[in-house]
Amino acid sequence: MDAIRTEALTKHYRVGFWRPRPYVALDSLTLDVGQGEIFGFLGPNGAGKTTTLKLLMQLVYPTSGRAEILGKPVGDVAVRRRIGFLPENPYFYDYLTAEELLQYFAGLFGYGGADRRTRVGTLLDDVGIGAERRLQLRKFSKGMLQRVGIAQAILNDPEVVFFDEPMSGLDPLGRREIRELILRLRDRGCTVFFSSHVLSDAETLCSRVAILAGGRLAALGQLSDLLAFQVRGWELVATGVTAPALDQAKALGHVVQATPLGDRRYALELPLTAPPDRVLAELAARGATLVSLNPLRETLEDYFVRQVAAAPRDRGLEPR
Amino acid sequence: MRTIAHVAVNVFKESVRDKVLYSLVAFATLLIAVSYLIGQLTAGQDVKIIKDLGLAAIATFGLLIAVFIGIGLVWKEVERRSIYGLLSKPIRRHEFILGKYAGLALTLFVNMAMMTVAFYVVLAYMNTQFPAEARSVWPASATDPRMLLAIALIFLELLLVTAIALFFSTFSSPFLSAALTFGLWVVGHFNADLRNFESVVETRTAAHLARALYYVLPNFAAFDVKAQVVHALPVPSAYVATTAAYGIAYIALLLTGAVVIFARRDFK
Amino acid sequence: MKWRMALLCVFLFGAVVGLQALHEQRGGPLVRPVSNLLYVRSPEVMSRMALSYDALLADLYWIRAVQHYGGTRLSVEPDRQYDLLYPLLDLTTSLDPRFNVAYLFGSIFLSEMPPGGPGRPDLAIALLEKGLRAQPARWEFAQAIGFVQYWWRQDYQQAALWFRRASELPQAPDWMAPLAATTLAQGGNRQSSRLLWLHIARTAEVDWYRNEARRRLQQLDAMDQLDLLQRAVDAFRGRQGMAPSSWADLREAGYLRGTPADPTGTPYRLQSGAVMLDPRSRLNPLPVEPPRLR
Repeated sequence: MDAIRTEALTKHYRVGFWRPRPYVALDSLTLDVGQGEIFGFLGPNGAGKTTTLKLLMQLVYPTSGRAEILGKPVGDVAVRRRIGFLPENPYFYDYLTAEELLQYFAGLFGYGGADRRTRVGTLLDDVGIGAERRLQLRKFSKGMLQRVGIAQAILNDPEVVFFDEPMSGLDPLGRREIRELILRLRDRGCTVFFSSHVLSDAETLCSRVAILAGGRLAALGQLSDLLAFQVRGWELVATGVTAPALDQAKALGHVVQATPLGDRRYALELPLTAPPDRVLAELAARGATLVSLNPLRETLEDYFVRQVAAAPRDRGLEPR
Repeated sequence: MRTIAHVAVNVFKESVRDKVLYSLVAFATLLIAVSYLIGQLTAGQDVKIIKDLGLAAIATFGLLIAVFIGIGLVWKEVERRSIYGLLSKPIRRHEFILGKYAGLALTLFVNMAMMTVAFYVVLAYMNTQFPAEARSVWPASATDPRMLLAIALIFLELLLVTAIALFFSTFSSPFLSAALTFGLWVVGHFNADLRNFESVVETRTAAHLARALYYVLPNFAAFDVKAQVVHALPVPSAYVATTAAYGIAYIALLLTGAVVIFARRDFK
Repeated sequence: MKWRMALLCVFLFGAVVGLQALHEQRGGPLVRPVSNLLYVRSPEVMSRMALSYDALLADLYWIRAVQHYGGTRLSVEPDRQYDLLYPLLDLTTSLDPRFNVAYLFGSIFLSEMPPGGPGRPDLAIALLEKGLRAQPARWEFAQAIGFVQYWWRQDYQQAALWFRRASELPQAPDWMAPLAATTLAQGGNRQSSRLLWLHIARTAEVDWYRNEARRRLQQLDAMDQLDLLQRAVDAFRGRQGMAPSSWADLREAGYLRGTPADPTGTPYRLQSGAVMLDPRSRLNPLPVEPPRLR
């Protein structure tokens, strides 16, 4: 049984008051996420990522198509006991403290009494909220709110969690903590479905990704498959590179780009056509010394930009 | 059911921590206490004035609480997006609506109880200020428990107003909801005049329209037995039963409507 | 699921309408106690309390006065009182001395005999005199006083005096002076009354004043018709030796064609040889006429 499954999931909105025109937020999305995966749901702003998450949480209803979580149709209340959701830029209740909020939600799950208290306490420790837990949420910073959001998403030891932009608002320390948390969740057997536009996080965490652009699925699969591990060039770092040596190498087309790293140390980008050993020999003849030589592979960012550029611009439905 | 109670308690907590509510209740209690002084101004009518003023204060402030909290009940959650976190939990949409309503009903009940207690305290004090002969002339004793009947009907009336405010809150902004709710409250009080309209209008269609509105618009005038209670006139229990049943039916209708609207809403 | 909710809605809606119908059938809202209380009766106090809202308060009191009159007039209480009408009109005109329609309303409806009004022409005159103190040049008020004297008090000397005064005020219509003269000469005469009401019916700006005038004219017509009918009945009795028992008798004897009806269409009644208005007619009660001068 897949953890998450969608079939031709589509959402049209009507925009405009006097003569409503349809707007395609999501066009026929079909994907599946296996249990225990960390799945990255990527795409530029406005691609339809949040719409997809809302459809999965049944905050909006699909125009057509279906979706299932843990084998049950979306909206099944029993399934909601086994999942967790972190919305983007979460806002909870100003007037409650962090503790009270988690206790409120814990009550909705059915936890009572001492169990509720210990669970809430441990959770707040896990996400790094200490004495602030007694403060009203209106006094919380963005980063702290994000932590509370994550806490309420994993409150019930879910089997599947949905994170919408989990890293937003966090400083580098916080981001590392969340990355580690996601890995811990995976180790516990939880399926993690998160949407992001921070590609480096996806690269380090995800086993599979989907790229959404213009409301349509542009790519889906294992990262290793998508990026094809094609070498597109070399990066050569050397010291002692003189200006004339550099100019000559550029003139010959051996160096596409030279980035100075300080004190005559350069990072040189070599195209595929330039054999690195020859370029190195030429530079060494002028007095340069090798520091490192690495192949350049396509990054997710390159792939991403390529896919997105090909996406349709017009989100309106074609007139019949 | 447990879920509904849970949401209700949360609404109550929110209202208790709401500064606006505090000021309203404090002001109302103060007014009731001050009514004692106002009573001194019109000789011979002291008790009547305090009763009139007290009941009116309870009704008015109750109305303000019902409307101003009611219009935001659903709208605020949707606008501020706190609904996203809540609806992803094991809670059905109708449990959300009913929980919100129950929470406001609880808030209203507690506030009205506080105002009623203040009211009776002032009246009990009044009782001690007058000799027995003066008191024997009053149509009803100062601390007449029958006023609780009027207050109970006011409470039911306000539960209906709350249901109206909640209903509008499921789909329209606070400003519009407040205007519509107040509008219906005013029209509902002129319900009897609507009946007389029929004999005054010129065309048959207008008469039919007046009659239709008379039946459909909420009849708030029926809940007002303040004058009866102050003058110690009888209030038949059949009347109370019919009015209570009417209130409950109308509330049920509005809550069903709210649930239906809310159940199919997209939260963009 | 959807149709179940729809069904529930329909059922509840039916319950609401049904209970409202039940409420109405049982008599509607509980009857309010008879004496309404006016907390502040004194115009001086009210003027002081009004701050800068006098005009608005005057409007509110005026609305209340009209509602009070209408509500009392329409109610089914056997002993209804219009006791708040004068105080409310007094308050209205103290807050806004130029509230002309309030003075004129009072002049008619304060004078009206019970059960149509409190029957207090003295209060009506007091209100109008107050109006003249505020606006000494308004001929309408002087005329209205004259009218109250004429119609309700049957004091034709005073009436003529006031009509003369009215005729001397600026912008008074041409017919005031002749009216004064006629009143002095023939006050109480049906013809001069008819003239008075005709003028009012033609010139009054306010609906209800005009309608009142028309109603009075209908009453005068009815009185003329009743006189004619009575003469016919008397002739019948003289001829046949006994009073006719119904209109049919008079028809057979050739005194009548058809069934006589008053100007509102309600048939007249014949009872023990006397003709009269049907008690349900809107023209009741007919004005009292003084004994003829001739």
